[in-house]
Amino acid sequence: MTEVIATNETILVVGGGISGMTAALEAAETGKQVVLVEKRPYVGGRVTQLFKYFPKLCFPTCGLEINQRRAKMNPNLNIITMAEVTDIKGEAGNYTATVKISPRYINENCTACGDCAKAVETEFDDEFNYNIGKRKGAYLPHRMAHPQRYVLDPAIIGTDDAQKAKEACKVNAVDLDMQEETIEFKAGAVIWATGWKPYDANKIQPYGYDRIANVITSVEFERMADPNGPTGGKLQRPSDGKEVKSVAFIQCAGSRDKNHLLHCSRICCMASLKQATYPADDVDISIYYIDIRAIDRFEDFYQTVKAKENVKFIKSKVASIVENKENGNPTLHGVDTEGYKRYADEHDLVVLAVGMEPSVDKESFPVEIVINEEGFIEPAPENGGVFAAGCSSDALDVNRAVQHATGAALRAIQVVNRVAATEG
Amino acid sequence: MSDLNTAMIEKYRSNFLKEVEANVEEGEWVKMCMQCGVCSGSCPLGKHWDHPPQEIFMMIRANKRDEVLGTDSMWMCTSCYNCIARCPRGLPITHIMHGLAVYSKRLGLTQKKQPTAEFSQIFWDNLMKKGRVNELKLGLSMYFKDGFGQGVKNAMANQKLGQNMMKAKRMNPMEFFGGHSVKDLSGFQSMVKKAQEIEEGNLKEAK
Amino acid sequence: MADEKKFAGYVCTGCGLGERLDAGQLETTATRDGKMQSCKQHEMLCSAEGVQLIKDDIANESVTHVMIAACSKRAKVEAFNFPEVAMTRANLREGVIWVRPESDENQETTQEMADDYIRMACAELKSMSQPSASGEQTLNKNILVVGGGITGMTAAIEAAAAGYPVHLVEKSGKLGGALGSYYKVIPTRSPYDAPAENPVPGMIEAIEADDRITVHLNSTLAKTEGAPGRFNVEVATESGSSETLSIGAIVQASGWKPYDASQLPEFAHDKSADVVTNHELEALAVAANGGPIKRPSDGKEIKSVCFIQNAGQCSDKEGHLSYFSGVTDLVSIKQAMYFKELNGDCDTTILFDNLRTPGAGGEDFYRAGQQAMVTFSKGIASEVMPGDSLTVKFEDKILNEQTEMVCDLVVLATGMEPNSGPDPYAQLMVDEAEDEEEKAKAQAILENAPPSILNLQYRQGTDLPHLKNGFNDSHFICFPYETRRTGIYAAGPVRRPMDAQQARDDATGAALKAIQAAENAGLGRAAHPRSGDLSFPSFRKEGCTQCKRCTVECPFGAINEDEEGYPMYNESRCRRCGTCMGACPVRVISFENYSVETVNQQIKNVEIPEEWDEKPRILVLACENDAYPALDQAAQAGVEINPWARVIPVRCLGSVSLSWVTDALNNGYDGIVMMGCRRDDDYQCHFVRGSAMAAERMSKVGDTLDTLNLEPERVILHEVAITDVERAPQLINDMAETVEKIGLSPFKF
Repeated sequence: MTEVIATNETILVVGGGISGMTAALEAAETGKQVVLVEKRPYVGGRVTQLFKYFPKLCFPTCGLEINQRRAKMNPNLNIITMAEVTDIKGEAGNYTATVKISPRYINENCTACGDCAKAVETEFDDEFNYNIGKRKGAYLPHRMAHPQRYVLDPAIIGTDDAQKAKEACKVNAVDLDMQEETIEFKAGAVIWATGWKPYDANKIQPYGYDRIANVITSVEFERMADPNGPTGGKLQRPSDGKEVKSVAFIQCAGSRDKNHLLHCSRICCMASLKQATYPADDVDISIYYIDIRAIDRFEDFYQTVKAKENVKFIKSKVASIVENKENGNPTLHGVDTEGYKRYADEHDLVVLAVGMEPSVDKESFPVEIVINEEGFIEPAPENGGVFAAGCSSDALDVNRAVQHATGAALRAIQVVNRVAATEG
Repeated sequence: MSDLNTAMIEKYRSNFLKEVEANVEEGEWVKMCMQCGVCSGSCPLGKHWDHPPQEIFMMIRANKRDEVLGTDSMWMCTSCYNCIARCPRGLPITHIMHGLAVYSKRLGLTQKKQPTAEFSQIFWDNLMKKGRVNELKLGLSMYFKDGFGQGVKNAMANQKLGQNMMKAKRMNPMEFFGGHSVKDLSGFQSMVKKAQEIEEGNLKEAK
Repeated sequence: MADEKKFAGYVCTGCGLGERLDAGQLETTATRDGKMQSCKQHEMLCSAEGVQLIKDDIANESVTHVMIAACSKRAKVEAFNFPEVAMTRANLREGVIWVRPESDENQETTQEMADDYIRMACAELKSMSQPSASGEQTLNKNILVVGGGITGMTAAIEAAAAGYPVHLVEKSGKLGGALGSYYKVIPTRSPYDAPAENPVPGMIEAIEADDRITVHLNSTLAKTEGAPGRFNVEVATESGSSETLSIGAIVQASGWKPYDASQLPEFAHDKSADVVTNHELEALAVAANGGPIKRPSDGKEIKSVCFIQNAGQCSDKEGHLSYFSGVTDLVSIKQAMYFKELNGDCDTTILFDNLRTPGAGGEDFYRAGQQAMVTFSKGIASEVMPGDSLTVKFEDKILNEQTEMVCDLVVLATGMEPNSGPDPYAQLMVDEAEDEEEKAKAQAILENAPPSILNLQYRQGTDLPHLKNGFNDSHFICFPYETRRTGIYAAGPVRRPMDAQQARDDATGAALKAIQAAENAGLGRAAHPRSGDLSFPSFRKEGCTQCKRCTVECPFGAINEDEEGYPMYNESRCRRCGTCMGACPVRVISFENYSVETVNQQIKNVEIPEEWDEKPRILVLACENDAYPALDQAAQAGVEINPWARVIPVRCLGSVSLSWVTDALNNGYDGIVMMGCRRDDDYQCHFVRGSAMAAERMSKVGDTLDTLNLEPERVILHEVAITDVERAPQLINDMAETVEKIGLSPFKF
């Protein structure tokens, strides 16, 4: 049974991505008791799946290492993974949270030695790599995963594979009898940091993501470019493995569009500019955009990419993509609106700069909370002691999400400090 | 009609966008365009447009009144609705194009011999006679609109099609002699007349 | 804790260690060579049982120093957590058996590697002690906020709401800052469809009603000395009086100033009263007093207005701002809507290139502007011709033509410039100038510098360092509140251009960081990234030559100098990176648990085989933040590392003492590989300058090699990222090849 010691002076953080982790660590390092609930088997969220950050082109795992070290060293922080908050009742200063914890089938004895993965045979699509490539039924989600413990896929429970995993483990870490459990605990304030998910590109019918192999999403491109990713960092076409020589980026794939996401997802322009630097300089890059939204210092980065000889910008929302059946090339149809030029351009690979969608849909919040038209949490006083952090409040880049989460930590601290003052 | 045109120029002077808002069907949407161009790229007849929809919207905002009302671009629209389906701002582009065409025709600014405009007029006249479309006469009017000689040539070229349609009972040669009408023809005609009066009234008011 | 030191070693035989290595021999090595008073084996040391074994020894056997030979120090951190004792970890799993192939022929070298790591861990342990807070700290909860604009007011309100007393210092005679005089603000709540009421008056009321907030108007900071938890701040008023405040931590919210539009002659700002900046328009809107906005030149009601976006921004022209001031497109939409509200039928056109209205609120507001009949034209304005009416020449990018429009008023959407103090490194450049010419140049920069805001009495200057374009930002993406002056946090437009809502969010975050800094200073705990670290540098005064390297090189300006020129450490300013230690030529600076000696002992306790054994030794000094995790991941991935390598993690490459290199070479090491973080403008060093300092120092290592008559290839410094899972081992293996090529070191004995 998972034990949580919590009081009305405890801060509950829902979601362990960069925003949730930041809020949790900042509050814990200010001396507050924090319980962090994360749905995945590890913390770090979506940034762990990014290859680089804009505009420095540095690596997200670099910051993740520091945050994970902070988490390991801090006795005030209790992280519960594979867990979801199903209900929150009460009011600011006095909440009761119900949390459902899925079985990991691996206990704390795990030393991440990897023997179970060697023994298990069944493979599954690797969700960490957006299903590019496979992982075993016993797996460490990624090398830096924290907690550094393997996971058994529930699909192998009851099969021979599960037994093999159990037998292979020398430290008695495999517990096939582990059950789903539901726990309740108190909290004085809640930080809601459930983040975002990439917009489902299948819904953008004219772009043919569901039917053209060489049309991929920006998040998949990140995994492809990562040397530690499923293709070893090689930019190759999904259809035939051919080396990519021309890439098109389609901006606002799902964003700024009343048929999809009404809002601008803020990060996609910069993300595509960043991704334009991934291929070698002899790869032709075309960026189809409506407005390049480079804010403050990012302008420098925009200018740097603009100055690259292999990169061109076309002010156009691409109308449709048709596959050239002979060579598998996606052909982009549309109009360059700067002076009305029609085009039908073939590329080796098309990357859809998909928008950011709040990962919890409007109807699914387990707590009463004010949500705006776009599905983001409003900074409303009616939310009581529940405070949004990061992308649950707006489409934000990492820097702004962290900034926002740090502020959210203070809001939560204000509540629990009031509790402490009245309870003496 | 040119009176009306002068009146409109007078009234809206420097603001064609406002004129369009007031007088063109769905014209109030024009200001919402963000120039992404997806409509222009989605149009199956796109290459026949001198000015695609998104550009027309910009021209309206740039007060290019003569160019917009004088172009035949909006007459190219075949109402496939691709643009409406894809427009990220939800502009009813098809309707706006038809609205602009109608407005241009009202003001007498439509290009002479614009085939869609001509067809529309023939269709309308045909419809008004009997309250229903006489397809045989509609076809013939189209064939012979550019004179007798050209009409015979057009008819010969489509001879086979006509015969097949008759065989399939999709066209009745007897319709050539008068043809049948809707039940209450005079009622229909006065109804249309009234509607036209109301519309004219609206425009006069706009003067 | 007893004064008597007691050393105990623990060798784990789990995770294949028992199968791959001779645990008995490891135990012997720990006791015989490592001088552990006891050494125990356990088949799974990280299990509850294994941990209990150690805990019992600490409790019952008075063990004070623990050596754990198991996995990487990054693994099982929570299990091996014994805060009351000093501890070292010998990395036998990721460091040895996972990077060496399992075969008989390799057995000997693999065991040697493991034995060496045990010797190193024991030697390190022998020369360290467990740090604890000095107990001299006191908690000072007072938060000082500099600047009474919307950012500063927010920081004050939010910190006070958490129960912390606040001093809010404002230079002018009233609170509110630039925004305070604005007609309305960009909307901050859904549906983002109209300019919102200015929040400033309500905030001023809230501050006046809050007895936890003390407002100091017409005041500036005459002097700020001390450190987080014990700042003494002299607040001077315009009238000449002053008072000294005792402060825990500081938020600097000194705001922004509008760009000087007289630098844009093409737009005739100085020729026509009817060409105004976005900042100036706010005054016209306020002056309209609810009626129509009037032309400045003749007082006529404005019937048409043109906004020129990015006036003097996003441009590399002389005198222009290279960056985009974040909010100026939203501001123009807001202001165009003023005209729709106040001037009825007024035509408003916004000429833009890329309309930058990001996020949910941004896009909503753009649509709201269009709905209100604001005309948006993708166009680049080139000239404004003054006259009775103004003519704006521009290139229409959509209609692809040069054209012009006539209007009553032109609004230039100009940018925001930071209201920061002088860059402390501009002062240093003067101090450090090597010749007169350089000095004159640096002096010119310094003389054009703005007046100080904080007046810090720091060795390294009076104010927060600049990042770029004069903004007091950090360069971190993951850690936006990283500051190079611990306990002082910049917030709002002094950090980067931002709108009111973002400034309020930013101020709230900065207030939290200030509170956190004050709390941790009270406990003697380090700030990010070594949060909670209680170790702290001290120096041996007898050995110090007052050379000032440490006070100059500290990336955080933590060290002052006393009257005699000796360094004065300020515990709560220090981030524990050890750059001072690496800088010290006479090796007098040390932490309790990390010193020249702790590493030197590791270097010396590696067994250097005789020359004829043909077993080279390669010393690897790896940054523990990036290079070391990269090596750990390489081990997970099963990448092989040469058996001659001995890796020592360092806090930062900046902490590497040149003496380690010299001593290693003298001891007969054949090659040295140093791995630090990227150090250019896009640096990734968590201590900002550590890696760069190391590179500078090591550039002089050639002299040492020369003196020793050794080949320059024997010592190399690489930039290594945490993602260099293949490359980091390769760099080590490359050194092994180099050694093979040039031969073993002659310094073996």
